[in-house]
Amino acid sequence: MLAASAAALPALLAIAGCRSSDAFAGPDPLAGRPALSPDVITLQEAIKAERAMIALYQAAVNGGTRPARTLEGLLAEHRQHLSRLQARLVLPPGSGSASPSPSPSPSSSSSSSRARGRVTIAQLRAAERASATDLVRRLVSVPPALAQLFASIAASDATHVVALA
Amino acid sequence: MTVGAVTGPSGLAALQAALAAENAAIFGYGVAGAHLSGTRKTAAEQDWTGHNEARDTLTAMISALGATPVAAQAFYRLPFAVTNATSAAKLAAYLEDGVTRAYLGLVAVSDPRLRTFGALAMQSSAERAAFWRGSTQAFPGLEAS
Repeated sequence: MLAASAAALPALLAIAGCRSSDAFAGPDPLAGRPALSPDVITLQEAIKAERAMIALYQAAVNGGTRPARTLEGLLAEHRQHLSRLQARLVLPPGSGSASPSPSPSPSSSSSSSRARGRVTIAQLRAAERASATDLVRRLVSVPPALAQLFASIAASDATHVVALA
Repeated sequence: MTVGAVTGPSGLAALQAALAAENAAIFGYGVAGAHLSGTRKTAAEQDWTGHNEARDTLTAMISALGATPVAAQAFYRLPFAVTNATSAAKLAAYLEDGVTRAYLGLVAVSDPRLRTFGALAMQSSAERAAFWRGSTQAFPGLEAS
């Protein structure tokens, strides 16, 4: 069927008054990538923010900020946040990878934290508070299921603020 | 909080569900508080007061929509026997988890003000749940996986 159609193409183009080369000169709406929807962009921003939070916690843990066990527990929850957020992200081919960026290696995190100075509990609390605020701001404009995920993560972040007190 | 616009049936249903959860929490804290002492009893009393205030807020929001707020029940079935401070704290965490789930329903409605209200209320109940449980959770109000 496909071979027959291909063989018939020149004849069809002739009937339409076109040369075969014209078939490759016009616009190609099938080749372009679709624009990302606002929801996807919002989700990507949330994922980026969660990665930054994880990097901050890793820097704190690697830099010796205490209490280490508490920080490691909260870091594990942030990794769960990132995993759940990434699971919601579906991108068309060619739009970039939905897979997680590699986390900073312990050595690089440690180096950067030394360069900036030790990450303090106050910094972590401020980051958690800002994250909760940002997620609540974002959730008003996304589909209900994603809004609920944002709200749940924001609630988790709020409990982290208290846990770090 | 005042919600002037009609939020639609789903918004009203979510508000009613949140109110029902608050009513249950008020009852439950009464049970839990009887088995607590010292700072934990004080904490339970503060949380009980907070739930009463939330109940009043939700009642006003529902009334503003022209609906009748759901009434509190005289008695609620407890999920387990509460016989000492440990089970009382476990009940308080259970109550807060339920309230968090109820407010999560508000986050799914179309009215952005209700979404925000629900999300902020979730933070308060999640914080109280973490206090009574002694640990945080990655996804308050949602299934773990």
